[in-house]
Amino acid sequence: MIATVMRLAWTNLTRDRAALFLTFLVPLVFFSIFALIFGNLGGGGDGGPKALKVLVVDEDGTAISARFLATVAAQDGLEVTASAPGDDGGAGERWTRETALREVRRGGAAAAVVVRAGFGDSYGDFGATGAPLELIHDASNPLARYTVNGLLQAAAFQTSPGVLMERGLEALEDFGGGGLTQQQRVALGDVKSLISTVTAAGGGTGGGTGGAGSLVAAEVTAAHDEAGEGEEKKSPSMVAYYAAGIGVMFLLFSTVAAAGTLLEDQESGTLDRLLSSRLGMGELLRARWLFYSLLGALQVTLMFLWGALAFGLDLFTAKRLAGFALMVLVTGAAAAAFALLLATACKSRAQLGGVSTIVILVMSALGGSMVPRFVMPDFMDTLAKLTFNGWALDGFLKVFWYDDPAVGVAGGLVDLLPQVGVLAAAAAVFLWLARRLARRWETA
Amino acid sequence: MTAVPALKVENAAKRFGDTPALAGASLTLEAGEWLALLGPNGAGKTTLVRSLVERVRLDSGTLEIFGQRLDGSAAAARTSGRLGLVPQEIALYPLLTAAENLRLWGELSGAESLGERIEWALEWIGLEGRRHDRVATFSGGMKRRLNIACGILHRPDVVLLDEPTVGVDPQSRERIWEMLGELRSAGAALLLTTHQLDEAQKVADRIVIFDHGRDVASGTFQQLVEETVGPGRRVTLRLAAPIAAPGGFELDGSTLRGSLADLAEELPGLLERVAMAGGRVLDVEIEAPSLQAVFIHLTGRELRE
Repeated sequence: MIATVMRLAWTNLTRDRAALFLTFLVPLVFFSIFALIFGNLGGGGDGGPKALKVLVVDEDGTAISARFLATVAAQDGLEVTASAPGDDGGAGERWTRETALREVRRGGAAAAVVVRAGFGDSYGDFGATGAPLELIHDASNPLARYTVNGLLQAAAFQTSPGVLMERGLEALEDFGGGGLTQQQRVALGDVKSLISTVTAAGGGTGGGTGGAGSLVAAEVTAAHDEAGEGEEKKSPSMVAYYAAGIGVMFLLFSTVAAAGTLLEDQESGTLDRLLSSRLGMGELLRARWLFYSLLGALQVTLMFLWGALAFGLDLFTAKRLAGFALMVLVTGAAAAAFALLLATACKSRAQLGGVSTIVILVMSALGGSMVPRFVMPDFMDTLAKLTFNGWALDGFLKVFWYDDPAVGVAGGLVDLLPQVGVLAAAAAVFLWLARRLARRWETA
Repeated sequence: MTAVPALKVENAAKRFGDTPALAGASLTLEAGEWLALLGPNGAGKTTLVRSLVERVRLDSGTLEIFGQRLDGSAAAARTSGRLGLVPQEIALYPLLTAAENLRLWGELSGAESLGERIEWALEWIGLEGRRHDRVATFSGGMKRRLNIACGILHRPDVVLLDEPTVGVDPQSRERIWEMLGELRSAGAALLLTTHQLDEAQKVADRIVIFDHGRDVASGTFQQLVEETVGPGRRVTLRLAAPIAAPGGFELDGSTLRGSLADLAEELPGLLERVAMAGGRVLDVEIEAPSLQAVFIHLTGRELRE
């Protein structure tokens, strides 16, 4: 008896392709995606961790600050730029504190390092005369602050022996009377080159990250703490990221579940009856799309409202509300069209359940709904651009993380045009495809 | 001048891939007439009904509703509003109440004075007391009755009924035919497809039998009987003991079976011959010619798909 029941279960499984994929293929796909995301973080992958883009501003303008910044630029894990890209593709104007702050705030870089005037004079006093450095970081990327600060200390450590020795020698010459003999100068030269070799060899491995007692004090500023006019000071939190990430993933699940009623209608005979009435297939799809769009928008709105009420998500400013409204509508519209596409492509509700689970989970993993995009390697970040979740998440993050305080409500909406455009175009294409696939239910 | 038929189908042909569903089928339904469309599974009945509600496009042939050809034109669309379809499936939304289902299908079929029509329908199908109950809680018979009501809210002149009584108990079946009888009084023409031959024989003015995608016979029941199995009654006599069988009769054990063309004239003579042969009659069974016999005669005993 047990053998008979087991044989029945096996036959059913092998004849249900969606169940087979879910059982055997999807776990492998997920393992691969997460291995690609996290494999590199442990240093075991080929690509190494994703380099953090850092802007540098030299307000000190001394040889010491230049030497320090050169050492910063040499750190592995940092992609350092001192100038904004020019119109001709070359280097444009050098970053100032203000332009660098805006760039970090709009998500163009993970952090900016400002070397304040007086850096050279106070170098090596271990913070006794205030903070000669300012580290402006993107609070939405929790890795940026600690990684860059650690690498700054590493750079300072590598720069300091030579600088401090030179300082000491200068003092010796100033106060010691006769100065050094030629032989003494040659011997000291050898020592300096030895020190620079040793510190260079020791650097670049991330030494100094989080070490106690900073060599150079850095004042840490979250880019979003620099409030714009009429704006409340508030750093974005991961709540915004996950409200968007989880919101978009469940938006897809719920709209696909709702769109499955089309297949239920087919199976129960109500679709045939609907189409035998004065209602046409085009009208039916448009009505369903409109309803699922509004349903989806309502679902995401509830998610963000809950985020605002329970987790302090900063939603209630005119600019954010406007951007959010635009994104929520276009995301709902695209998700509804995608759900209808899946429903019209599947032959039964059971098939839709299997296929949609696979597609939505893979898109959500790649698009950043499950794992923050900033920990993904570059090529996976690029892959995210092929997913629905990726574009929707980018749009919501522009609203909640990367808003430029110098830009008003209208400017904020214009800034969303790439994401809105892609999602709207996707909605149009999905709907068109769904309409074509639905022809099989029309007149035979 | 002859009246315009409610429905006229001429040489309808439709193939699905290599399979012919209709192969030159024709039928006419007069205004106010009740026509039973019979045939084995796969004979083309459903395809014809679907083509009338424009869910199937014919490869060739013509369809007319009250003289208006169904050709996808606006005029044809208006005319097709005079049709009401009652599908075989319970095509209702189970989470909606009876009244909500009636409103939905009434709106989609363009019913006028819908509020009044819903009240009429609820009373018609005997569900006034359950108007606010979800359809999911209804019995099979209640769902069937509601299914029919949803198809006729817009007062169609022609009702297409596909197996209206399948899967319901005798009481519900009786009620459904009473309901449909009211439609007949109101002058609606009805095209009924069914495998319930006894019901078709009882309610239809005329019968059309389809096989292999076309009409193989049509007429009143009496006409079909005369054209096929003949009007004779089948007579079965159960005897106390076997005797020599009279002419035209067969003996099976102690049972005699045969057919009499004129029962009143011939039965007394038969009983007399049996008595003279020493037979004692225990029971007499007389069977009138049935639609079942006509149907089998026309379509054969071979199993279909």
